[in-house]
Amino acid sequence: MTKQDDQLIQPEKFWICSECDLLLNRCAVPDQFEAHCPRCQSTLVASKHRSIERTLALAIAGLILFFPANLFPILSLNALGLSQSETIFTSVKALYDSHLYAVSGLVLLSAIVVPLFKLLLLIYLSSCLLLHKPAPLLSWAMKSYQQMDSWGMLEIYMLGILVSIIKLVDVAEVTPGIGLYSLTGLIITTLLTSTQLDKHRFWRRIEQLERRTCNNQR
Amino acid sequence: MQQSALSRGLITCHCCNKPAHLRHEGQKCNRCGTRLHARIPNSLTYTWALLVASAAMLLPANLLPIMTFKSLGQGDPATIMQGVIQLLEHDMLWIALVVLTASIIIPLLKIVGLVILLLTVQMGWTTNVHQKMLMYRFVEWIGRWSMLDIFVVAILAAIVQLGNLASVVGNTGATAFAAAVILTMLAANSFDTRLIWDKHLELSEADT
Ligand SMILES: [Zn+2]
Repeated sequence: MTKQDDQLIQPEKFWICSECDLLLNRCAVPDQFEAHCPRCQSTLVASKHRSIERTLALAIAGLILFFPANLFPILSLNALGLSQSETIFTSVKALYDSHLYAVSGLVLLSAIVVPLFKLLLLIYLSSCLLLHKPAPLLSWAMKSYQQMDSWGMLEIYMLGILVSIIKLVDVAEVTPGIGLYSLTGLIITTLLTSTQLDKHRFWRRIEQLERRTCNNQR
Repeated sequence: MQQSALSRGLITCHCCNKPAHLRHEGQKCNRCGTRLHARIPNSLTYTWALLVASAAMLLPANLLPIMTFKSLGQGDPATIMQGVIQLLEHDMLWIALVVLTASIIIPLLKIVGLVILLLTVQMGWTTNVHQKMLMYRFVEWIGRWSMLDIFVVAILAAIVQLGNLASVVGNTGATAFAAAVILTMLAANSFDTRLIWDKHLELSEADT
């Protein structure tokens, strides 16, 4: 192979494994099938049935659950007539009051801001893609979503709640609140969204829509 | 015949996976606008630096107390390990194991795992490449779970505010621990797994 031959290669005809850089001939992946890299087994494409519709539905459900999960107490503690309840935000504030500003900022981000932002970005993205409506910042939204993905830590917060309950069993009576049930629902919808989101389909649609806006401007 | 895309002048966008011709380092992806690089620039240097920093943070994270649990005015600041021991004393073996795993074993395993991966690339330990990839995926996936103890401190500090009866406050160890977790997550992100396969191909070509 010479350099000139390489220039004739059309990049669109290939897949490149993002984990091991293997070059593969592109082929169509039928609905609901996955393609894995033959060398390192990482997922190349995971095609999902009705990915955009389902992502939108799950993200809306998640947004609805987000509010009770954050507004209602997750746990309440009763001891000798005294009681105290906890929401995600009061746990952030408790760290702030302990003068752990950086840590409270981190918990605020990973348990409130990032999960909310992820849901809003998904609703914006999937509704625009579903309606074939060219909109500004689509690729920015998708990029931000992907970057935020690993910084949302609601499921770990949940494990923290379980550990706290067990730690407090001896000390006082702990009762779960409405917030805890909403939080459970929110975590399930978040996990389902990440399995239903077909990254490649989203990016292809975004590309189509952005090309259309470019042509309209001309 | 296995060949890397780079050897044919193709690269892939790390953000949206669109393949493109490599023209020059730092060209922009025409779909999402991310700057494209053949490999993550200075991947090994950054990963080493972040790893050393997180290892350094693990010391204060484990030696300094992360919270003070006072009941009836009594109680001393406790480190992560003391918290685990307290759980054991209360016969909560399983939960003690969960906390021990998330806050002490996982961070250590992550650092050891990433060091092995870095040495794989630098020293050419490319036997069992598949095992190394599994190791990377594990390190990447498990990292976030170490935040568990920080959340426990946050939740306890919020809920246990019963005046003199019982109260919980967080201590500085929590900051060091959170920093260690974030630094290992960043270290895993800055490691480029494609370097392992580059080295693997390079060595197997040298053999033949
Ligand atoms: Zn691969």
